[in-house]
Amino acid sequence: MAASTPDILRGTLDLLILKALSWGPSHGYAVARWIQQATDDALAVGEGSLYPALHRLEEREWITSTWGPSENNRQAKYYALTRRGRARLKIEADNWRRYATAIFAALEAPALQE
Amino acid sequence: MPRWSRFRRLFGPEAKADVDAELAFHIEMRTRELINDGVPPERARALALRRFGDYDNPRQQCVAINERRGRRMARTEYLTELRQDAGYALRMLRRSPGFTTVALTTLALGIGANSAIFSVVQGVLLAPLPYRDAARLYRVTTLYPDGTPYPLSPPDFMSVREQSQTLDQVEAFSGGVYTMLDAGDPREVRGTSVSDRLFDLLGLQLALGRGLRPGDNQPGHDGVAVLDYGFWQRQFGGDPQVLGRRIRIAGTPVEIVGVLTRGTRMFDDADVYTPLLYNDTFSAATAKGRRGEFLTVLGRAKPGVALATVDRDLRRIGKQLQSAFVDTNDTLTFNATPLTEVVVGDVRTPLLLLLGAVGFVLLVACANVANLLLARASARQTELAVRSALGAGRVRLLRQLLTESVVLGTAGAVLGLAIAFAATRALVAAQPAGIPRLENVTVNGTVVIFTFVIAIATSLGFGILPAFQFTGAGMQSALRETTRGSTSMSGQRLRSALVVVEMALAVVLLIGAGLLVRSFIQLTRVDPGFRVEQALSFRVVLQGDRYKEDEPTRIRVSELEQRLRALPGVTHVGTTSVLPFSGRGAMVGFEVEGAPPPPANVNAEIALASTTPDYLRAIGATLRQGRLFTAIDDTRAPRVAIVNEAAGRRWFHGDNPVGRRVITNGVAREVVGVVGDVLQRSAAEPAAPMVFVPFAQRTIRSTKMVVRTNADPSTLTAAIRGEIRAVDPELAVADITPMAQLVNRSLRGPRFYTSLLTVFAGVGLVLATIGVFGVMSYAVTQRGREISIRLALGALPRDVVRMIVSRAFVLAAIGLIVGLAAAAALGRFIQGQLFGVPLIDPVTFSVVPLVLAASAGVASFVPAQRATKFDPANALREG
Repeated sequence: MAASTPDILRGTLDLLILKALSWGPSHGYAVARWIQQATDDALAVGEGSLYPALHRLEEREWITSTWGPSENNRQAKYYALTRRGRARLKIEADNWRRYATAIFAALEAPALQE
Repeated sequence: MPRWSRFRRLFGPEAKADVDAELAFHIEMRTRELINDGVPPERARALALRRFGDYDNPRQQCVAINERRGRRMARTEYLTELRQDAGYALRMLRRSPGFTTVALTTLALGIGANSAIFSVVQGVLLAPLPYRDAARLYRVTTLYPDGTPYPLSPPDFMSVREQSQTLDQVEAFSGGVYTMLDAGDPREVRGTSVSDRLFDLLGLQLALGRGLRPGDNQPGHDGVAVLDYGFWQRQFGGDPQVLGRRIRIAGTPVEIVGVLTRGTRMFDDADVYTPLLYNDTFSAATAKGRRGEFLTVLGRAKPGVALATVDRDLRRIGKQLQSAFVDTNDTLTFNATPLTEVVVGDVRTPLLLLLGAVGFVLLVACANVANLLLARASARQTELAVRSALGAGRVRLLRQLLTESVVLGTAGAVLGLAIAFAATRALVAAQPAGIPRLENVTVNGTVVIFTFVIAIATSLGFGILPAFQFTGAGMQSALRETTRGSTSMSGQRLRSALVVVEMALAVVLLIGAGLLVRSFIQLTRVDPGFRVEQALSFRVVLQGDRYKEDEPTRIRVSELEQRLRALPGVTHVGTTSVLPFSGRGAMVGFEVEGAPPPPANVNAEIALASTTPDYLRAIGATLRQGRLFTAIDDTRAPRVAIVNEAAGRRWFHGDNPVGRRVITNGVAREVVGVVGDVLQRSAAEPAAPMVFVPFAQRTIRSTKMVVRTNADPSTLTAAIRGEIRAVDPELAVADITPMAQLVNRSLRGPRFYTSLLTVFAGVGLVLATIGVFGVMSYAVTQRGREISIRLALGALPRDVVRMIVSRAFVLAAIGLIVGLAAAAALGRFIQGQLFGVPLIDPVTFSVVPLVLAASAGVASFVPAQRATKFDPANALREG
């Protein structure tokens, strides 16, 4: 596992975290699990690299955190989307869709013409 | 709960624990899930860690992010609180307009006075002189054995220039008053003749043309002149075509070759700069002209050379000249004075005195505002106790209270700056006599910084005591006590102590002002030795080819006198080389025939005036013995002289000088009369020994005339100009002034310092009085119950008034004793400014206590009156 996540993955990771939190507050472990299940573990990022991303998002005030009891009554740090985070999610998702569409279109495009 | 406390956990070392807990939770959850999925517990944790991947790196990243965030939050929190405090402070100040008005006025006065005087000190004393390497410039003087400093002669100047090892560059100049002829009326101008590289030494900048430079000083090449900027504006309307124009100065044609930039000026104001003509006396090798001292010599010390070293070097040169030129330089030497000292030395002490005085005013203001803040203690104690009970810490409350003080102080500084701005402009416009470089005085960046620094210091000064008082031990009990509306006894004592300090400071200021006022009165009472009223004086300089010889000059002067004497109302017209209150004039060698020669270390010189026969009558001098000059004392008659009383005392030791023979500048004369002393410089300086000689027997060109009338002399101005123009249209008449004004001019400096100090003392007294008033009013309010009970029990209103007023008198008396002691101790700072008044002046020291008693009486009478109106029934009901 690489110590640092490539840039493209980091941007993707931010988007996935924001998406994971869009249904309501949850702790880091739940976010990690959702990403693994939703992407079929295709990103294959180490679970550890999720946390710096979470903290960075919190620093940017796209998400906030509070400590609260978890489902098994342990104290867990819960993250929730802020108003700005929700707006950000929409922008990032749109960007991603445009980007993916463009790449798909390129992949389906006919051969290079002389 | 405040918003920020949610982030409390992020601060400091907790950031690490926070991250560790979060990561541990993740590992634990994963482990549990793996176990649920059937992984053996002993392998589950290892597997969970493997799936987590690298542990340390993400952990460190998280910690770093959190710490960064924590710091930012702390900063934001601090600024938010500051804004809250400032906003709160502004609301508090708005809510009590009475308090705010009094406090702000007090502070604005105190701070404004300080800024204004500091502007003057900064511009005049602190700012460097506008010359290149000004800190290394020295003035060189000839030193006579008795310590009298003199200018240098041209050969001595050249010797110093050639032999000095400590001075890089030595230059000289000489000032004079000349008649300038151009288009229009002849004009008197102040001219300065300069040595070859003086412009270079001082770094004088030119707006037009070129400066004076080596080569200009050689005979035949010296017909050039550079104009002062102001003079160029006034006289030539700032015309750039002035370059190349030929004018006549003192009868000699010169070409204008340059104009100085605005603000560039020599420290002696001059209109026109011309080259010093280097004749054969400008040589280090000659003995000729060594005692013709008329050059002001300036030198720049080499970098890093101290004054003492320069002095030693100059003494060495002096010694060398003593042996090389025994006849002329025996016993003479040279010394150096920093140029700054030469320019501002005279005003340093009085200006610093004023700065000290305004410092005292500010302290009084400070004590006053502290007192006002303490008086609000009772009103605010409830509020503060409530805030404290709701969780505000002591530090937080202290900070809030100090923020209030600083807001108050800053507002005071802004108002103070406005006052200083107005005051300095008024000051510069008023042109108080004798303050050099006044045009430099502005409220500049340095002054603004100074103002805010003293404002903040003041705020902390007046804020810190009340803040600690508020938030101190008494606070817990405040909630309980507030219903009774009282503060602790220590608060009352503190306020009394502050009032005592205010009183003491006011006393010091009053004593200082009193001494200066008394000195000023003494100055105005000094007998000037002549009749001041109903006389005009003016200057006429007879220059040019026509007046090269003595004879035509004498004829012209007597012609002028005759024509002026014929004007209506004129009783006497006289001519002299030097007027009263205008300096001592020429100094010449003097000895009394038959008297033993004076010891070598005594300067055997005397001030000399050449006067026409009617001059001493025209000024109204008093004849003590013998006779005044008459028309018979002419060129062919025996040489005669009149001495003043000071000369009689100094040179004749009480014997009658009339009939004795004296030698002035090598000429033997018979003393024919003695006149009363006529003051020469100012009322503060006693007359120096002086000898008068007939104008006919010593004819000079730079004359001053006096016209005495039996009516208002000022109506004659135009007629005088007309008569002189009729005699010779090329004669410039300057400075037609009533003689009373000559005396008045010499009083302008003392009047200026005296009035300013009096104003400051007045402000100090008013503030101190307000302080007493505040404390007494508060005491009356506080003791209302007690007073009511006394009244109910039969005390007379008179007794109550006496009780209150006597308390004020006790405070005033303590303040008075402290203040008088301080004033006596500080006396030496003002001693040099006093004239004819002892430091412990009985009048001042008895008037000031009366003034203080009156102010204490006034300040306590109103509260005492209020106390007598208390209704005894209230006290009984409440009790």
